[in-house]
Formats: sequence, structure tokens, C-alpha cells
Amino acid sequence: MLRYILKRLLHGLITVWFIATATFIAMHAVPGDPLSGEKAMTPEIRRNLEAKYGLDKPVVEQYRIFLVNMAKGDFGISYTQQNREVNDIIREGFPVSATLGILAVVFAALGGILLGALTATYRNRLPDVVIMFLVILGISVPSFVFAALGQLALVKINAWTGFTLFPVAGWGTVMHMVVPSLVLGLGTMAYLTRLMRSSMLEVTNTDYVRTARSKGLPPARIFLKHQLRNAILPVVTVLGPAIAAITTGGFVVELVFAIPGLGRYFVQAVQQLDYTVIMGTTVFYGAFLVLMVIVVDIVYGLIDPRVRLKA
Amino acid sequence: MSEREVVLEVADLKVEFDTYGGIVHAVRGVSFQVRQGETLAIVGESGCGKSVTLQSIMGLIPMPPGRITSGSAVYRGQDLIHNKYIDGRDIRGSAIGMVFQDPMTSLNPTMTIGDQIAETLQVHRGFSKSQALARAVELIAMVRIPDAAKRASQYPFEFSGGMLQRSMIAMSLACEPSILIADEPTTALDVTIQAQILDLLMDLQKEKGMAIVLITHDLGVVARMADDVMVMYAGEVVESGSIDDVFYRGAHPYTMGLRAAMPSRELGARQRLTPIDGSPPDLFSPPSGCGYFARCPQAMRMCQAQHPYLMSVGKAHHSRCWLQHPDSTRQVPGLSIPHLGAAAVQS
Repeated sequence: MLRYILKRLLHGLITVWFIATATFIAMHAVPGDPLSGEKAMTPEIRRNLEAKYGLDKPVVEQYRIFLVNMAKGDFGISYTQQNREVNDIIREGFPVSATLGILAVVFAALGGILLGALTATYRNRLPDVVIMFLVILGISVPSFVFAALGQLALVKINAWTGFTLFPVAGWGTVMHMVVPSLVLGLGTMAYLTRLMRSSMLEVTNTDYVRTARSKGLPPARIFLKHQLRNAILPVVTVLGPAIAAITTGGFVVELVFAIPGLGRYFVQAVQQLDYTVIMGTTVFYGAFLVLMVIVVDIVYGLIDPRVRLKA
Repeated sequence: MSEREVVLEVADLKVEFDTYGGIVHAVRGVSFQVRQGETLAIVGESGCGKSVTLQSIMGLIPMPPGRITSGSAVYRGQDLIHNKYIDGRDIRGSAIGMVFQDPMTSLNPTMTIGDQIAETLQVHRGFSKSQALARAVELIAMVRIPDAAKRASQYPFEFSGGMLQRSMIAMSLACEPSILIADEPTTALDVTIQAQILDLLMDLQKEKGMAIVLITHDLGVVARMADDVMVMYAGEVVESGSIDDVFYRGAHPYTMGLRAAMPSRELGARQRLTPIDGSPPDLFSPPSGCGYFARCPQAMRMCQAQHPYLMSVGKAHHSRCWLQHPDSTRQVPGLSIPHLGAAAVQS
């Protein structure tokens, strides 16, 4: 098991390096540079600035410097914000984004597994039909629409009841977190519900569930010990990509609900070609996602002995 | 044959399934008895309703689309069709154990073998987890799996097919049931393992005195194991009796056909198999006459029109064939097929 984890971590490191390189190339392929957005400057000033920031060096040399600094954990200083280290931006924004993302993932996974199992149990009956209709809605409607609708609904509800249980926007208390993370997790939850439903139906018809019934086990025990654990496996498999989908979707939700996460800096940085911030946030996000996928794989191994023992 | 206590009595069981094509009449009035310590073999080709019969008694067919439309199954005075509980305890797993055809898929892949065996004891006997696990190890040793303690903590994918089937048997016998239903227990295993599993079942039967209901289409297995045989065709019992009655004094053309289809050893590789031509009737709309009419070499005109009933042809020997009617003038041919004696002893 330990060897397996170490192997996965090594693979993850290589993946992060690929992400960094690809981002670097893509960024430099875009016309313009961090200085081109500024008001007109004389060629001399420009040359001085380029020399200061190392932009006059060959691209390969810039790449080398970037890699060395990254390995040291230093992503440099923002080009467009005064005296801001990229590390500071990450340190400030990431915990907020991560909290939002993790809440959304937990909500999506729990909701998806629960609703999936429920629809499978009530297959082709009313709860199944209603939930599956909502699921199609959840998959089809993008999160920014839900974000706007959710916010609008909150405004109306708060105005109507006269007090604010869930604030409309902002960040700080647990109450601030509820609605944005629900909105963010909704699409993934719908997707997981579908997956869990079909997986549950498949498991229900397996020979080993029939064996469990022939042993005279109570239905609750059959459900928990024989059906749920086996049905969850495909859901756990897609949790890695689901986390990626949720964190990227997070930028929009952060914007709508005015949440001071990383997403805002990320979008601004791309618009202004703020090289260091783009590189820093992208690589950091990439590393985070790779780590999450590895964690999911380890969890998978814990649930399925075939993965754990054969690896 | 000594008359032992009847532990399970099934009468006029009828099972239907709703499908998109219509209603399938899978079991059409099956009756039989299972006696303490004896083995009843239920034979017949695929789709004849032998598994459905037992699974419906055990409440294992999905309902809907399945449906038991009539009949009763009485275990020691208690009807099992409507109530599977005696003193609040499920008779499944405690009074009646079941072993299935494919051991590779019949065990939960994410639970250890020990846990799966122990589970039955925890539920039915109220054992604590550690008590149950200790007993599970004993049971694994009982079915002759070496290194039982280590094996108990392993998962099904670490076992071979034969060992999995032994584990299934250990699991079904954990609560010492009085009936063991074995649904084609050796079909998925290779021949040498088959023999070991059958020996194991016979030894355990001797030891525990349980009744076995053996569902199979392998007449060799029947010859080796059974006291009584019940031949099913198109959802009905067509012949039933002791093994000697059915094997040596067969009284139904379908039984004859099955026996003739069995390869014998002395004819060797040049022997041509004798199949039964045709295929079973459509169970969406079962024929009004005899189900075997279309394939029967001895078919008479009345067989198409009149549905035969089970006629007594000897002590506890019945045949659903008009040839056995007292008014029938024709004799059943083929009462002695030369290689049969050898076939019965064969495996």
C-alpha cells in the first residue's frame, strides 16, 4: 500500500510539471506581455522594466528561472498589484476557495449517493420519477444560472421574512457558505445521483445480493453491507474529476456571491497577463487537483480490497 | 425406503412473471415432499422452472415482475409463502440454507469470507462478532479448506472456484439448517472439483442429518447423490419417484429421452449423442395438452387435446403421461436401455 501511494505521488509530481510547462507555453504564446496594458511608456522605460523583471531574457532562460523558483516554492511577485507576492495571494484566497469547494464536494457526494440509492429503491415509482427529472435539470443548467437564481431567491426570501438567515453575498460565517456551496455542488450531485442509481440497480441484481437474501439477513443489513459499499465504487472513481469540475466551476460562483477566493485573482490575472499570478495560481490549483485525485484513489483502495491488495 | 419425517411439503405451486412479451407461466402447479436426511434431486433442462420453484419458496424471485399465484410450501407445519419468520427469525439461512450455481459471483467481493459466514451467525444466533468469527473459522475447516484462520480474513478474489463453493457451503450450513437447497452447485466447477464438492455434501449430510434439495441437469450427479428424483418439464413435474424407479423403471417418454441423451462410457469416442429433437413449448401460452407432445416419439392424438395428470405407476412413483393411464392399450417402450446400469454408477 505504501509503495502504491509513493508511486502515485511521483506520478502526480510529473503531472504537475506538465501542467506548469503547458501553462508557461500557452501564456507566452498569447500576444502582449504584462507591460503592454500600461499607459504609453517610452521604449527606455520599457527596457528598464523588462530588465528588472527578466522579461528581456530568452524564453528558455525565463522557463528555467521559473522552474527553479517554483521548486523552491516561490512564485514571485505580482506584476500588476503593488507589493503582492503570489504566495500571499494564494495564502489568502485558497483557504476560502478550498472551503467552498470541499463543502460543495461533500454535499454533491452525500446527496448523490443518498438520492441515487433512493431512486434505485423506488425505481419507476413517484420519488424516482420526480428526482430523475430534477437530475436532468441539474445536469443541463450551468452553475452560473443556479448561482444567479439562488441569489435572487435569497433576496426575495430575506425581504419577505424580514430577517437574514442566509446572507445574499460575502464570506465569513457558516451561513455565508451554505447557499454558494449548494449551488456549486448541484450539477455534480445530479451527475452522481444518476451514476449511483444505475450502479445500485446493477448491484441489486447481482448473485451476491441474492445470496445475502438467502441467508435471511434483514433488509437494512443487506442494503448497507452488501449493496451500498459495492454500489459506491463507481461513484468514488469519478469523484476525482468531479472535484476538478467543482473547483473550476467555483470561480464563477465566487464572483456571483462576492467570495474573496482565488477565482477572482485568477480571472483578473489572465485578463492582465499577470505572468506570475497566472503561473502561481494555475500550478497551485493543478497540484491541489492531482493531490485530490490521489486521495480519491487511496480511498478507493480502502473500499475495494481488490484494488488494495492487487496493487 | 424408510418413511422419515417430511420437513418440506410443496403443493400446487404456481409462479408467473410479467414481461413485455406477456405473462410467462414458469411454474405450473408443482408439488413435492422433502424428507429429513434424504436427498431430492430436481432435474430438467434449462428454463423448465426447477430453479424458479425453489427460489420462489425462498422468496428470492423479484416481485414484481414475479408472482406466486397459488400453492403452498409448508416447512414443519409453517407456510413459507406468506411468512418467512418463525419466532421472529427468518427461516432463510437458519432452517433452510442455500448454495448457488456460480460461486465466483455469489459472494460479496468487498467482504472477507469469514465475515460473510459470521454474518449469518450474528443475525440468526445472536453471536457476538468475535464469537461468530471464531465459529466461521471452524466452519471453514469443516469444509476442508486448509489454513482456515488465514483464509477467513481473505476476500473472495483470493479464492479458487472450488474453495469459494466450499465457503458457500460453510456459509449455508453455519446455522445447521434442516434443509440445504443446492442450485446446480457443481455446474460452474471443473470435473475433479465437482466430485470433491459432491463428496463433501454427502459427508456433511451424513454428519448433520439434513435434507438436501439438489437442482441439476446432470444425471451423473443425480445418480451419485439422490434418494428421490423429480423430473420437471415446461414448469411441471412429469415424473417423480425413487432414484431406482426413475432410472430403471422410467415411466415418461421425456425421462427416457434424457437418459438416452446421456453419453455412456463404453461406447467411447465414436458414440453419437442422441438429442431430444425440438425445443420446449412457449411458456407465454402453455399448450392445453401435454407439454411434451411436440417432441414426444410416442405422442398420441389425445396428448394434444387433454392435459395429462400425474398418474401413479408404483409405490410413490408418478408419471404425467397418458401412456400410464389404466385404459391405455399401448406399452411404454424402452423400459430397459442397455447402458443405463453403467451410466448410473458412472461418476
